[in-house]
This record gives sequence, C-alpha cells and structure tokens, in this order.
Amino acid sequence: MLDALREVQIPLLAALMLGASSTKLIRAMRARSISGSLGPTALFPMNMRGPLALMFCAIECGLGAGLIVTAGRLGHGTPASFVRLGTGLMFLVATTALIELRTAKPDVGCGCFGDFSSAPVSNRTLARSALLSVAAFSTIGLGPVSQPRSAAGAGRLLIIMAIELIVLAALSPELGEGLIRLGYSEPCELRALASDRTLAALRRSKQWRRHAGLITSEAPVDMWRELCWRYVVFPARYRERDTELIFAVYLQHRRPTVHTALVDAVTGDPVPWPTSPPRNGIGWRPLRLAPSGPAWPADA
Amino acid sequence: MPAGRESTGLMSAACCDRCGAGAAAQAARVARRRLLKAAVFPPQAGQATGQAGVSEIAPDRPVGGFSDPGQLPRAVSGYVLDISPQVLVLGDADNEQRYTLTPDATAWRGALLEPAAIRQGDRVVVRLHPSSRHIADRIWANLGRVTGIITERAGNQLVVDQGATRAPSVVVIQPRAIGRIQVRFPTLEPGYLVDIMGLRGDGELIGMIPATSQPSYPADRLPAPQLVSGHVPDAIGGSATWHEPTDEPAGVLGVNYPALDPETRCVEDHLSDYGQGYARMPYLAVGSVLRVRNECTNLDCMLPVIGCAPMARLFNDRCVTCGTSPRGRVADLTMASFVALGGELERGCFNATITIGE
Repeated sequence: MLDALREVQIPLLAALMLGASSTKLIRAMRARSISGSLGPTALFPMNMRGPLALMFCAIECGLGAGLIVTAGRLGHGTPASFVRLGTGLMFLVATTALIELRTAKPDVGCGCFGDFSSAPVSNRTLARSALLSVAAFSTIGLGPVSQPRSAAGAGRLLIIMAIELIVLAALSPELGEGLIRLGYSEPCELRALASDRTLAALRRSKQWRRHAGLITSEAPVDMWRELCWRYVVFPARYRERDTELIFAVYLQHRRPTVHTALVDAVTGDPVPWPTSPPRNGIGWRPLRLAPSGPAWPADA
Repeated sequence: MPAGRESTGLMSAACCDRCGAGAAAQAARVARRRLLKAAVFPPQAGQATGQAGVSEIAPDRPVGGFSDPGQLPRAVSGYVLDISPQVLVLGDADNEQRYTLTPDATAWRGALLEPAAIRQGDRVVVRLHPSSRHIADRIWANLGRVTGIITERAGNQLVVDQGATRAPSVVVIQPRAIGRIQVRFPTLEPGYLVDIMGLRGDGELIGMIPATSQPSYPADRLPAPQLVSGHVPDAIGGSATWHEPTDEPAGVLGVNYPALDPETRCVEDHLSDYGQGYARMPYLAVGSVLRVRNECTNLDCMLPVIGCAPMARLFNDRCVTCGTSPRGRVADLTMASFVALGGELERGCFNATITIGE
C-alpha cells in the first residue's frame, strides 16, 4: 500500500511540474516577457526577475521530464534519486519563498500556474507546496515504477490518485478561479454596455411608446449611468410647461425594465403624469441617434 | 505614453465639465442628476439626501449631507500672510482671514513643526477645529503629491506622467529620503508606478515621503482583474487617497472615482487608455454620490463624484493607516474632503468604506 502511494507521486508530480512550466511559458509569451510580476520573483530586484523566472521555468520543465524519464528502469538508482531529491528541494524552497512573499507582498499571487495563480498567497497555497515537497521526498529510494500486475492493483492506484487529486484540488485556489471563468457571468454593475444599445432598447419599450409624445427633442439632454441603471433625460412639454422626462433603463440586453418620471424643467419637482397618453409629438416614429459621437457633453 | 496624448495639448485635454464653453450648463446638468434620479426612485425614509458643499476661506457656509456637521473638521486653503504662535492670517491684501491657533496646534512643512515655523507666502491647507470656524489646529504647508507612472529617471530626479489632464511632474527625491522611499518603491524605473509626497517647489516636487507601497508590476502589464461573481456589494472597503487640485475649485468637497462609465467618455479615460485596472468597481458617473467612511476615525459623509481617477485603479496597494485595507484605491478625495473625514494628509491614505446608491 505504501509503495503504491509512493508510486502515484511520480506521475502526479511530473504532470504538475510540466503543467506549471507550460502555463508560465504561455503567460510569458502573452506578455512578451518572462519577467512576470507574479510569484516569488517579485521579491528580487527588477533586473534579476527575468533571468530567475526563466531559470525556475526551465528547472520545473527539466525536473518534470526527469521524473518521467527516470521512473522506469532507465535512470534507476542515482539519477532517479537525484531528480526526486531536486524536486523535493524545489518545493521546499518554494514553500519558504511563498511564506516570505506573503509577508513582504501580500497582494501578489504565487504565480505557480501563470495567470491562473493571481490570487494572493494563502494558507492553502502554502499547504499545497509543502504537501508536494513531502510527496517528492517520499519517492526517494523507490524502485522502478512498473505497470500493475492485476486489475485490483490498478484500481488501488487509481483510487489513491483520485484521492490525492481531490486533496490537491481542495488546496488549489486556481481551480476555483478556473471554474468561475467557465461559467462566469459579469454582474450588471461591472458590465460595459453601449449607450446606443440602451437607447435602442428604450425605444422599443412600452414606457417609451406611452410617454414619448411629450418629448420635444430627438437627442437626450443628459445621460448617465449608476450601477445597473442608465438614466436618459429628454426635454418635454406638458400642459404648456417645460418639463423633463427621465427614463431609468436597467442594463440588460433584452427587454430591460424601464422606469420613468416627469419633472419640472426649472424646479425639478415631480409633475403628475397625464391621465391618457398623448398621441401627438414625435414619439410614434422611430428615433435614431446620430452615429457620430454623443449628443450630450462629455464628463470629466 | 498612450497614443493620442502627444497630439492633444494639455489645455484642451483639461477641458471637461468644469471648464471651457458650456461648462456651466453641464455642471448644472450634473448637479441635477441626483434630483432626477430621486424623481424616478424616491429615496426611502431615513436615507440622507444632502449634498456636500464647498469651503474656501469662507467656511461658515452650512454644509448638509454630513452625518453630524458639527463633529467634522473643515479645511480651508490659501497663502500665508502672517503667522505667530497664536494667530494665522491667510488671504491677500483684499481678503484676509484670521484663525486662532490652538495651544497644541501642529504644522507640517517637510516635517512636523511648530506653527510659527511656517513662512509667509507658503501655500497651506488648514484644518479648522470642529468647535469653531475661526480656530485652527493643523496646518500643512506646501504639501504636494505626485501619483503616476515614471516616464524618465536621471539620478534622483523622476519625470512622472500623472494622467491626461495633468502636466507631467518632476519629482526630485531628497537625498536623505531616498532610502525611505526605496523601501516602499524599490523600482524607480520608467514604466513603474510611483506615489510620493513632499514639498512643492518651483514646478517640481521635493520627494520626501512614500505615500504607499509600489505595485510589483509595471503600469502596462497589470495582472488580469479578479473575477467578481454575484451581486456587487453596496459597501466596498479599500483605500482612500487624496490628490492635489488642478482645475477643480480649491476647497471643493468631492471624490474622483476609479470606475466611471466608459460611455460617459471621461476625458482622462479617453486619452489615457489605461483600461479597467486591477480591481473592478461598479460603474458610476460624475454627479453620483458616495458615502465615504473613514474607518480610522469613524467619520463619514456624502461626497459627489467629480471626476475619474485613472491612476488610482492602476494601484493594487493597501492602506495601512489603521489595519490593512481589504483592497486598493476606491476613492481619490480632494484635500478638503480628506481633511474633513479626519485624514492626515502626510499619511497619504486612510482605510475607507464607500457606500454607493444611497
């Protein structure tokens, strides 16, 4: 049983190290520089970060490949022990570096898996690194890894691997981040939505059809957004009185909720709504916003 | 420097709703937004409806919207005409304003000093005692701050890009302060963020105090913002900083907010192209009102959003004035607002909670 547990560590560690190395490489290629701002390299002076990040990436890749190559009979003995010792030491150093990183730069992520590891270093990140260090040291002295001789043996290996993967997943903030990205729907407060889409949705709404007859200008005199609502103000005329018609449009793509209010243009006091919807004015024909820039002044 | 900045002069870039043709009309429109919003969504009973006001040399003007106006310190600013251990005179030949100094009044002019060490002609920000509008208990002289991206460095001299509507600023780091600053800002190289306070000189800032800690990333390589799921809370904790006035009236109470709606075509955003920044914040507009609470002093007040803060959203720093703030910069206050909420200007920030939508 203990040997089976030790045998499982080799492919797991190799997969993690190769995965970590490749995600770092992808991040570096995207940023066109290996000198990332994540991870313990942030503790070093600027001119050392690039070479150090490159070195860590190469070491991870080399150790990951080395674990696979020396797992069987090829490289058995001293080379295998050397690679496994190196892997354990690497995770040990990483654990201490992450402790230091958390103290010195609490806002910086561990960078273990490139952009996926942008969350600040937590106890889970530290526990995972320490666990992997123990796992790597446990493989020193293990004989050549061979295929299981029976279905029961294979099943036992699979169960151990599944349990360990669950433990690692529980210790990995990156997994939660990945799952969030898969099913992510941005809250409306943070969603950018073009104002012409708001106007188009407004002009399709029942509220617009009901009140647009009061409006005296095609262009809104003011428009602004607050959280999930965009407010659109049109000049209006009601009972020989200058008024302003305000629409509050909920920021969603289809059939947004619309609220309205009519206020006096000078005092801003609410004006009671007409008892029946007006039929004159410009409201019944489609209005179109000029495509060249906003009709209202820019904000600061 | 972002594209578009070079072809646009600073004067034209600075024109926004506070200046230029039609500025008054637009300012009036912005001022009405809260009223119009209240017409659509009438405030519930118990919600504050006041607006923050302005105080410059004439601090007796009543100000609504504060939770308890009598308890909040006010700030005035101006040039020193005369100062003695007991009396401070601000203003010019036509308009003098006298303030009595409390026995324990202190001053800052590069370091904490006795008020009498302030010199004639110094530009000062004065905190008034809550008990009287004619008693001062704190003075900051020639205090300046530069927040932005380093574009050039020559020895101890930095050129800092402060955004589209501010001129690039020169910071000369005082030799004896270089060690202190480099502890918090280890990478004083072009492309990195910097936030330094010090004494305003002729067209430059003598850098003396690091205002915060430097993010580890260069400004053009911000980490991907963390995903936010679910409903964004109305109250957001973070760091509140202050900025020097440019085209805004001196003494105005207000806040520059890091996430104005991109559709409002905020001039600073339009010319800067700094993106969403590190930490996502709910979109608002100029004229929206925030309740800003100083978690260190428990003072709070309602402040209108008066502009955007493109630099603030690049900083993923923490304020450590009282504990560690849960996130970076959520509000960039005017000096008067910062002082009114009990902030000490030379500390650079306070831990704050902003509440949106009241």
